[in-house]
This record gives sequence, structure tokens and C-alpha cells, in this order.
Amino acid sequence: MAFSIFHISNDELHKLYEDIIKNNETYAPVEHSGDYKFKKVNSLKECNTDAPIKTTASVKPLFFPQTSAIMHYSEDAKGIKIDDPKEDVLTHKKVILGVKHCDARGMQVLDSVAKWDWQDEDWIKRRENTVIFSTLCVTPENTCFCTSLDYDVKTTDAYDVLVVNDGQKKLLKVCTEKGEQFLEPYTGVLTKLNGEGDAKLKAEFTKFKNAFHLKMDYKEVNAKLQGAFENDGWDFESARCVSCSACAFVCPTCHCFKISDEKVRDKGVRYKSYDSCNQKYFTLMAGGHNPRTQKYRRWRQRGMHKFVYYKERFGVNLCVGCGRCTVKCPVNISIFEVVNNVANNI
Amino acid sequence: MNYSKQIQDIAVRLFTENKIDVFVGYRKNVGDDNQTPFIFKNPALCDKLVFTEKSTHNLTNYLTNETTKSKKVGLVVKGCDSRSLNLLLTEGQVKRDNLYIIGVSCDGCVDEKNEKEARCIACVMQSPVIYNEMLGIEKEKKTYTIDADLLKLKHMSLTERADFFTEMFSNCIRCNACRQSCPLCYCDKCVIDQDSSLYHNGANTTSNAGMALMTWYLHLAGRCVDCRNCERACPQNLPLHLLHKQNEMVIYENFQNHQAGMYEKDRGAFYKYNLSDPDDFIM
Repeated sequence: MAFSIFHISNDELHKLYEDIIKNNETYAPVEHSGDYKFKKVNSLKECNTDAPIKTTASVKPLFFPQTSAIMHYSEDAKGIKIDDPKEDVLTHKKVILGVKHCDARGMQVLDSVAKWDWQDEDWIKRRENTVIFSTLCVTPENTCFCTSLDYDVKTTDAYDVLVVNDGQKKLLKVCTEKGEQFLEPYTGVLTKLNGEGDAKLKAEFTKFKNAFHLKMDYKEVNAKLQGAFENDGWDFESARCVSCSACAFVCPTCHCFKISDEKVRDKGVRYKSYDSCNQKYFTLMAGGHNPRTQKYRRWRQRGMHKFVYYKERFGVNLCVGCGRCTVKCPVNISIFEVVNNVANNI
Repeated sequence: MNYSKQIQDIAVRLFTENKIDVFVGYRKNVGDDNQTPFIFKNPALCDKLVFTEKSTHNLTNYLTNETTKSKKVGLVVKGCDSRSLNLLLTEGQVKRDNLYIIGVSCDGCVDEKNEKEARCIACVMQSPVIYNEMLGIEKEKKTYTIDADLLKLKHMSLTERADFFTEMFSNCIRCNACRQSCPLCYCDKCVIDQDSSLYHNGANTTSNAGMALMTWYLHLAGRCVDCRNCERACPQNLPLHLLHKQNEMVIYENFQNHQAGMYEKDRGAFYKYNLSDPDDFIM
């Protein structure tokens, strides 16, 4: 189904954003200590809808927070009582501006595991009630490789509306039914384009794709990695890894979590927080066995999960090529470099 | 400052003479002109080694990493790094006989913007305090100074300082990059990660971040050499050095000008006792 492509001036786009912010619970990248994080905003001045990917945190915490209280309970003479669930602010209807495509695709990729053998109701509701605006990146960083993977920024429906540069103006490409309906009330200030919209978009996307520093043949790498389990490249490439969790915590698609209980006297909270397979004791089992005490096994798991296993199971690659892991790793380990070097080490 | 060729030659020699199993040095990043730790066993890779003012990472962290444990290691250290090495030796984490230490008398490192790092401007020990061979000319030890950031912290009231650090803790995501990058944090299972810890239940909350960072601060007392591996590692840009510089200042002022790892067999500020130590605070 062909969705609309609109033309809008820069000024009108700012007014559109301001109107969205006034009438909807809106999140956008807000600067803090040199990095941008998605926070609720009350005006366009507070945020940057075009923040650079290298310093912009993922939008994942708005769907799967760093820490969330999943249960409150109390204990009295009669026993333990589970309190009524508290309001989940993240399930409110909301709009997110300035989401990177890789990030939006990351959320879409995680939909697969959230709707798999157990329905993650929190995730599903938060996703359903969100409209995503994405701005086409003009200059990819030297750590980006989204165009080398198994999705096309031009045709994906991971975001609802894509904002693309067009000289002194902007193009608004609607990508979903939700986006079409959302922009309905604004059609007064939007000029709907017919055939010429596609041509302009094609030119911008070609320019975007050609600007990439990192390129790889995804199909070839994925095929070669299928047989890479015993490859000694994992050990060499992961030698300088310090087994922290920085990469997993900034990644838009990492979704492992741990559950912990905090009880003070008669009241308790059960928390769900980020966890990571990088940590030495991640796979420690009751009884004491730990299949991944060695670092290369943990890194192999990471690389294979991101580029092989998830694709096998759900048909979509888990890594979306945002490069944040490389930027934030204490020793700049690049997953792009690792999987390509291992694939070529056969 | 460029000792790349000398270090390459030494590494080749060490492998040829069978003196080492693995070499820990620096190499250039693939995507930009920053550097990254380079750990390898194949002598054919020695020509990738570099050493310039961009070689800022403290490599002694890898001496307690499984990549080098129980192996014979060739290692590059600057002044600051050699101090943490002294402590690792004193604390029994690595055997001196297993190490071949190339100590570089450092002129200071630069950050990603090519500006000289604040810690290097205030450096007290540019030359290595322990080594098998030294590159560069030995430089004199300099006086300890307190910089503007730290003075500001010192003059804050208790509530102002509490607010400052609470803000820092609230931005912590508990990724442990700082702890894992710190050469002197080498416990196999950190007290914070113990399953039945009463102090920390595992959730990534602000109070748990505070607990973790404060515990780390106390455990590093008299041991931190200001290598800034932690701050460079932090994905949230937390000013972690302020936490430890504050501690360094307290130790310096109260423990007879003690500075971490300045000489071999340095036993730190806390784990040595002298009959003349003041004990007017002991009841």
C-alpha cells in the first residue's frame, strides 16, 4: 500500500513539532553531559531531533527500562500480599521525535522475541501506544553500518514517519497506517507529493548509502559464521575485552535481564534490570557449573547471537548496525570488525 | 613522543628469545587515529605495535585478565601504569618473574580531541618506577597538586557534596565498565555481585549505584594512581576521577603524604602498621 509523501518547509516542520509536543506526551533527545538521552519534552527548544548517533542513547529504555519495579509486595501476620500494580507511565499514548532508523529497527526486531512463546504485555502495550518519527541521518559515523544488514532504511516500516532533507525543505515519508492517521489533522500545512516524491527520496537515499565508511556483504558473513563456532578468531578478537556490560547496556537490541528482590522490613519490591552475557557469572547455574567462564566463549555467544542465532529463529538480524557498542566500549572493540575478521578466518 | 619502533624491536626479540608467551601493548584503531590495547601471541604481529602520546590506556589491567594469567607477559607501562603495577605485585596478583616490563618515561598523553589530558598536566611521576628496560630519559618526581575541580569539591558543604554525588550516581547504569577497566579491581566476584549481598540487591537503581561506587571508592583508598581508565570507559561520561581524586587528597593529607605505588613493595596506606602511627582516634 502506498503511503503519502509530503513536502514541508523547515519553519513549518518546527511548528509541526511544536504542535505535536503541545498536544501529545512527547519524547525527544535531550542533552546531558555531552550525550543525548530520550526524555519527555515540553518544547522544541529543550531537544535536538537531529542529534548525532555517536552521542545519542538508544530509545530502548522507553520500552524496556534500565530498571523497572515489576511487583510490590508486603508482609504481615497473615502472610504475603501482592499490591495492586502501579501505573506504568510508559504505556501512555506518546510520540517520539528524532529516533534513529537503526534504533527504530532495533525495537521492531525485539518485537519478535516479545511476541514469541510468552507475550511480554508491558513491551507490547508500550510499542502499540507509540508513534515514531525518524530523521534520515545525513552523515553516517565511521562506526555505522546499518545499510549493510538485512533491512532497507528506504522501505522499512520500523518507524511511522521519516523526515528527509530536500534542499532547503524537508520531505515527510509516511511508512505505516499509524503514521498516515497521525498526520491526518496536519494535511492543511503539508503539500502532498505525487510521483516526484519518490524520485527525490531515491536521490537522498542513494547519497546516504554511498556516504558509509563501513560496508560488508551481510549474506556472505552470515553464511560463513554458521560454521564459525570452533573458529579461533573469537579468542584473538576478544583478547582485550574486559567483560563489563557497556556494549550490552547501550545496544538497542540487547534484551537480557535479571530479577532481584529488595525487601526492607515488611515491604518489598521486585525489580527487573538489564543484565549481560559479557559478565563472567552470567551463565552460572545452581549447583555451580558455568559453561562460559572463558572470555572467548562469551564473546562468541555475543557475536553469534547478534548475527546468526536470532536470524535463524526469527528471520531478522539482531544487530542493527548502530555502532554504539564500538563507541562506548572501553577499548573500542568493533562488532563489525570482529564478525568480519572471524568470517574471513575460515 | 614516539617509541613505536623501539617497542616493536623489543617485542620481536622477546618472542624470538622465548622470554614471553604474550605481548600487551598498543595498536592504532581501525576507524580513527586513537589507540587501543593490543594483546597477541603471534610474533608476526609485532609490527602493529605503536607508542605515542595517544597511548593513554593503563595496560596493567590485563595482568589480572584471563588472557595473561599464568603466562609470561611482555608489557608496556608509562609512569602512572608502573605505579599500579607495583601495587599488583605487592598484593600478590602477578609474579615479577613472569613479566618483562618496558617502561616508557612519558611526556604526557592527549585525549580524543588531541588536547593534553588534565591528569598528565598534573602528573607527579612521568618515569616508570619499575621496569626491565626504560625508554626515554628519566624525569624527576613532581609535587602533588590539587586542581581547581577538586578544590571546588573540597569547599562544598556536606549537603552540596551529597547532591553532587547523588546526581552522579543517578546517571550510573551499572554497566561495570569502570570497575572492569580499573587495574586494581581484580576480585573474581565483586562484593557487590555476591548473590546474598545485604548491601546491594542487584537492581540497577540509584541507591545501588551509590552503594557500588562508594564501595569502590573505599576499596581504592591509597591505591588509585589516576590512570583514568575508569572515566574513559564510562559510557555515561560520569566524572569518576573526582570520586577518587577526593580520596587521594584525604589520604595524602592524613597518611604522611602517601601516594599509591611509588616504590616497589609499597604496602599502601592501610595495610601497614608502625608503632609511631597516631592512634588518638581509637577508643
